Amino acid sequence: MALTGLDIYKQLPKTNCGECGLPTCLAFAMQLAAKKTSLDKCPHVTEEGRAALEGASAPPIRLVTIGTGEKKVGVGNETVLFRHEETFYHPTGIAITVNDDLEGDDLEKRIGAIQSLQFERVGQRIEINLVAIRQGDNSSAARYAEVVKKVMAKLDLPPILMSSSPESLEEALKVCAEMKPLIYAADSNNYEAVAKLAKDHSCPLTVKGNGLEELSSLTEKISSSGIQDLVLDSGRRDMVSTLSDLTQIRRLALRKTYRPLGYPTIAFTSEKDPFQETAQACAYIAKYANIVVLDGAEPWQLLPVLTLRQNIYTDPQKPIQVEPKVYEVGTVIDKSPVLVTTNFSLTYFTVEGDVEASKVASLIVVVDTEGTSVLTAWAAEKFTAESIASAVKKYTVEEKVSHRKLIIPGFVAVLSGKLEEELPGWKVLVGPRESSGIPTYLKNTWKEVSL
Amino acid sequence: MPLELVKEKWTGKINEVTIGATKGEGGTRTSKIVVGGETGLPFLHEEGEMPHRPVVAMEVWDTAPSDWPEVLAAPFKEVMDDPGRWSKKCVEEYGADLLALRLQSAHSDWGNASPEKVSEGVKKVLEAVGVPLIILGPGQDDRDNEVLPRCSEVAKGEKCLFGNATQDNYKTLVAACLADGHSIIGESPIDINIAKQVNILISDMGFPLEKIIMDPTTGGLGYGLEYSYSIIERGRLAALGAGDKTMALPIICRVGQESWRAKEAKAGESDFPDWGAVSERGPLWEATTAVALLQAGADILVMRHPRAVESVRKTIDSLTRKNPLRDSAETLD
Amino acid sequence: MSKCKVTFHPDGKSVMIEKGEDLLHAAVAAGVYINSSCGGDGVCGRCRVIVKRGEVTSEPTGRLSEEEKARGYCLACRTTVGGDVEVEIPPESRLEEEQILTEEAKASRLVGLYSQAEEIEVIPEEEGLLLTHSPLATKLYLELPPPTLQDNISDLERLHREIRRNRDIPIMQAGLANVKRLGRLFREANWQVTVTLGKRNGTVEIVLIEPGDTSNRNYGVAVDVGTTTVAAQLINVNTRQILGTKATHNTQASYGEDVISRIIYASEKDGLEKLHHAVIDNINSLILRLAEENGISLSDITAIMCAGNMTMTHLLLRVDPTYLRREPYVPTANFVPVIRASEAGIKVNPRGLLSCLPGVSSYVGGDITAGTLASGMADSEDLSMLIDIGTNGEIVLGNRDWLVCCSSSAGPAFEGCGVKSGMRAVKGAIQKLEIDPSNYEVKYITIGNVRPRGICGSGLIDGLSELLKAGVIDRSGKMKKDIKTERMREREEGPEFVLAWEKEVDGQRDIVIMEADITNLIRSKGAIYAGAAVLARSMGLKFSDLEGIFIAGGFGNYMNIEKAILIGLLPDISLDRIHFIGNSSLTGARRAILSYEALNKVKEIAHKMTYFELSVDPRFMDEYTGALFLPHTDMELFPSVKKKLKL
Repeated sequence: MALTGLDIYKQLPKTNCGECGLPTCLAFAMQLAAKKTSLDKCPHVTEEGRAALEGASAPPIRLVTIGTGEKKVGVGNETVLFRHEETFYHPTGIAITVNDDLEGDDLEKRIGAIQSLQFERVGQRIEINLVAIRQGDNSSAARYAEVVKKVMAKLDLPPILMSSSPESLEEALKVCAEMKPLIYAADSNNYEAVAKLAKDHSCPLTVKGNGLEELSSLTEKISSSGIQDLVLDSGRRDMVSTLSDLTQIRRLALRKTYRPLGYPTIAFTSEKDPFQETAQACAYIAKYANIVVLDGAEPWQLLPVLTLRQNIYTDPQKPIQVEPKVYEVGTVIDKSPVLVTTNFSLTYFTVEGDVEASKVASLIVVVDTEGTSVLTAWAAEKFTAESIASAVKKYTVEEKVSHRKLIIPGFVAVLSGKLEEELPGWKVLVGPRESSGIPTYLKNTWKEVSL
Repeated sequence: MPLELVKEKWTGKINEVTIGATKGEGGTRTSKIVVGGETGLPFLHEEGEMPHRPVVAMEVWDTAPSDWPEVLAAPFKEVMDDPGRWSKKCVEEYGADLLALRLQSAHSDWGNASPEKVSEGVKKVLEAVGVPLIILGPGQDDRDNEVLPRCSEVAKGEKCLFGNATQDNYKTLVAACLADGHSIIGESPIDINIAKQVNILISDMGFPLEKIIMDPTTGGLGYGLEYSYSIIERGRLAALGAGDKTMALPIICRVGQESWRAKEAKAGESDFPDWGAVSERGPLWEATTAVALLQAGADILVMRHPRAVESVRKTIDSLTRKNPLRDSAETLD
Repeated sequence: MSKCKVTFHPDGKSVMIEKGEDLLHAAVAAGVYINSSCGGDGVCGRCRVIVKRGEVTSEPTGRLSEEEKARGYCLACRTTVGGDVEVEIPPESRLEEEQILTEEAKASRLVGLYSQAEEIEVIPEEEGLLLTHSPLATKLYLELPPPTLQDNISDLERLHREIRRNRDIPIMQAGLANVKRLGRLFREANWQVTVTLGKRNGTVEIVLIEPGDTSNRNYGVAVDVGTTTVAAQLINVNTRQILGTKATHNTQASYGEDVISRIIYASEKDGLEKLHHAVIDNINSLILRLAEENGISLSDITAIMCAGNMTMTHLLLRVDPTYLRREPYVPTANFVPVIRASEAGIKVNPRGLLSCLPGVSSYVGGDITAGTLASGMADSEDLSMLIDIGTNGEIVLGNRDWLVCCSSSAGPAFEGCGVKSGMRAVKGAIQKLEIDPSNYEVKYITIGNVRPRGICGSGLIDGLSELLKAGVIDRSGKMKKDIKTERMREREEGPEFVLAWEKEVDGQRDIVIMEADITNLIRSKGAIYAGAAVLARSMGLKFSDLEGIFIAGGFGNYMNIEKAILIGLLPDISLDRIHFIGNSSLTGARRAILSYEALNKVKEIAHKMTYFELSVDPRFMDEYTGALFLPHTDMELFPSVKKKLKL
């Protein structure tokens, strides 16, 4: 269980000395509870206090890092079962497989396809994170290592080495150990040998069980030999069982602080149809897989997968925003009224709805106020004559309408004078305070003034 | 020591809502659909019942949707002008067991059709197919209030699901559904509290909570999906965990409408060569939106593209299959 | 530019102004008061006047009905003059009952908004909470032994020696001004003098030396500098007696209704000066009136203790408040040194002291630390909460070990602003009301038992609760337009319910409550409840964990706690745990002026208190929408209301 601010406060000196940079011990405790500061900032905490706080703050799910440098992937260290409770912190690592039975051109093509799985949408870059190089049943250690080498030469992605043979893994590690690949996997047959490899090369290791029971007994054995960077695979491949296992692992770790399963998880798609495979991958992203491995590498398949990951891992504590720009409601003409509002989505959608209800086609200029409402933005100087004027100019409103009248929310009537100075030639009209007054305003007042 | 799984002890149960009435029940439907009834989180079969699988309702318009992108419009090209034929195609060719008829012709920008005219369309669909119907107004308060009561009347006894009642406009529709024996959709703007408030306001008019379905407003994939996702999850947790009866309602999501607004679903390859074939991308975008919402707890998915519908139905098949390994594991305990 | 003559009736005052000026400015120039809470932005709709004669141009407004426009009504701030004009100010736009505007009356025009002084101070002092009697400024009568050739220490040292014989004060300061007067003063007073000792920034200062014995005449004034109301209390420092309490409208409001508008105004040319002078004038007029009524001399007032929010304190001391509203929202000073009252322009004894109680952050000021002191919560082991129902809706939670606070910007609805027939808790305000659910008839009681002029905060709480109980509104605050009574009617601005017909009231229009008013009130109560809930939850507490909730605010002398719970303004805990403590800021200021220990305690409270920023807490928005329902979306939080409403 995470400690509350008050729990932490009890362990602090309660002197309000302010040396941590915060005005009171309680303020510091609350920041600590929110993981926004660290205990070292308090120079006066007693040894007992420190011990008590550090013991309680060890993450119930270990953060495991795969790879090195810019492309390394950290997974795990999640703290909640439902994203609304806090947020999900470390986005699911998306891996695409390469089989070592691919030859020449086929291998090149596959690598090329994987390389292109990076997209730009709504101004953000989204991309896959890992390449899972899988050894075929009839392949040799040498062959496997050769393919790993070829793939690594072309792809700047951390690898997952998939083989059940310790010998093949060892050969492959000779090629890429310094890249900190994820070894897949130690199971009940090979765990001693594979765990030793992971230990010798300091690489993260997947433990694969046949069910949760076997999985946790395996992790207990492996972790007791000093290997901590583990990733869990319960071994199931059908969707219902996999979801159930992933849920249980997350719950056991968080609710029971059950250490043997306090590690990130890996899930594999099993469906061959790309639509069904995507569905599997998406279900696993939603419900608790920390790494998802897919065979499909079509861009139209990965674009939704990566977008869903982006959605699920969005911090729900950030306000919902709409894109700042000029929105047109209804069939706008050059005499349509121009209203101004902020980019807090609820504010915008309320205004949009009321404009729509008025049946007066209008333009709505949405000013970037970092997702705050009219009054909050105004109070914090994010919705000012300057910011409104610059939005009106930036979105070239004067090219969209022939008149020069701008309707501002009644709550910021005080901005009108300054705004007229900032926008020479414009007449600023004070609209209603409440969005609900917009239909009446547009139907009556606007008609009067626009004549 | 055997591993003890963490199974939640849920106390609540989601209401079961029936859509459609057969001849014996005073209607003319040949089948009906029951949704809801869950006693646990979605698809965790070992800790709760999911007596009715989530359903896909295929969307049919009563006027040709001129703004649908080519990929989406193509399968319906021949039938778009006729809601009766469109409905038939959905049922007979795509196996739809539930339809969502959208009365777009009543929208002021789409023809502003009279209540009489609009209700004709409803009759046509009721005659053309035997599956149960969801009937959705154009979403403009005044137009909804004009046309929906008339449509409710002509569908009297059919136990349709009518939508949408909102916080600011619910009284007319509630009264009509109450009089004609339909269920109702209560819509809220991605806000768990307003969702609950709408349910309370509707039930305060004497409308049973057991006949209300919640529309928490759907955000399409990439465009606010996560907000809907969390609202649905939170509502479910409140209903199951805290026994909140005013949240123990099945959920409907307008998946098609929202996912096909996305550029990613409809932009052609020439504009975005890196995104792959739009013929695949569009339907998959819609299907992915649906799959995510299923994980949150959606009960009815209103969808458009036949391929997306088919794929989501398959996914529901796999998700509602009981878990053989877990069942055997349980006997070990 | 040509000049026009504007005459205001019924005052009969005229003024010459430039053509094109608006009527609100004309009224200010003529010294005629017209209500305006938005400061002339055309949004509050309060400055309604009737143009009787002459040429004017009015901007379109939704604040007046067509019928009113036909009767000549317009908004003074949105109406400019084109020639000589005669204007009538209807009673609802006037401040008090009609007054003949003598110069004297004009000066005290804004004084005595509360019809009786007692109406402010209603809470009997709990003796146990009063700390040692050690006032900020004390007087000491001394008979100094005249110097001799043997006892030949200097006059100043003689004074010190004599003071030390009476009091244990090791270090003392005396200003040069005092020293210069000593020689002559001692001898003329025949070595019999009264010294005023002031506690000033950690040391003791000889504030004042007067001839003879004036030690029985030592007065202090506690001032609550509120955003909308300034209240002052005259105290006999020796006897700890309250001699009188007066309140006035904070005239800064003409420059903006809320603190943010005023901070913005302060950055304009001469803005800070104007705001500073406005509040100082308010304080001076209150003190003058209190002194006159009690027959005491201003020179016998030796100390002023002010409690106000951070913006008010900045403006009072003429400190630039700009940075209060900018991220990261820090005040220029939380702890302001004790200064001479005359330095701020307050007219009492020129050497008298002025102390401002320290605050915590930009949005939690000395009024709240004072309120915390007054509630006694910082002395108790038990957990309790203080809720100040004002424009800024401050909330404090804690006990003697820790305190957290937040501010939830509730808006001024419960102070009667932003509500069509709303008014402050002054004479003529409906403060209690009942609605008969069988026929929707309304019974009400006004402050001063006179004909109603409007409705104040406590009346609005009653009103909301009665409208809900009688089924006039649904739980989202929407009016049920189909109920059978002529009191329910539809107007351009939406549906409204008539509380008092024109024939019953003092004024020319019905007193109503509109659906939009209800929306505003629900937002206000929602913000306060949500703030309290988030604050409690952030500390892992439930309301049921609290031993007590103290309610502060300018509700006059009445507030129905049960009805406040029914509408979800206050949490549903047992009534005996909720205590209405009235203007706790004023109480705290009084304690601090009477007891240095109390003053230090307020400082300790300010040091200890942790400010919690609600606007960055994602849970706030959620709690808030949950609270935008009557009483709340989650009925389980209001079991007693559930029973009462038979849900």
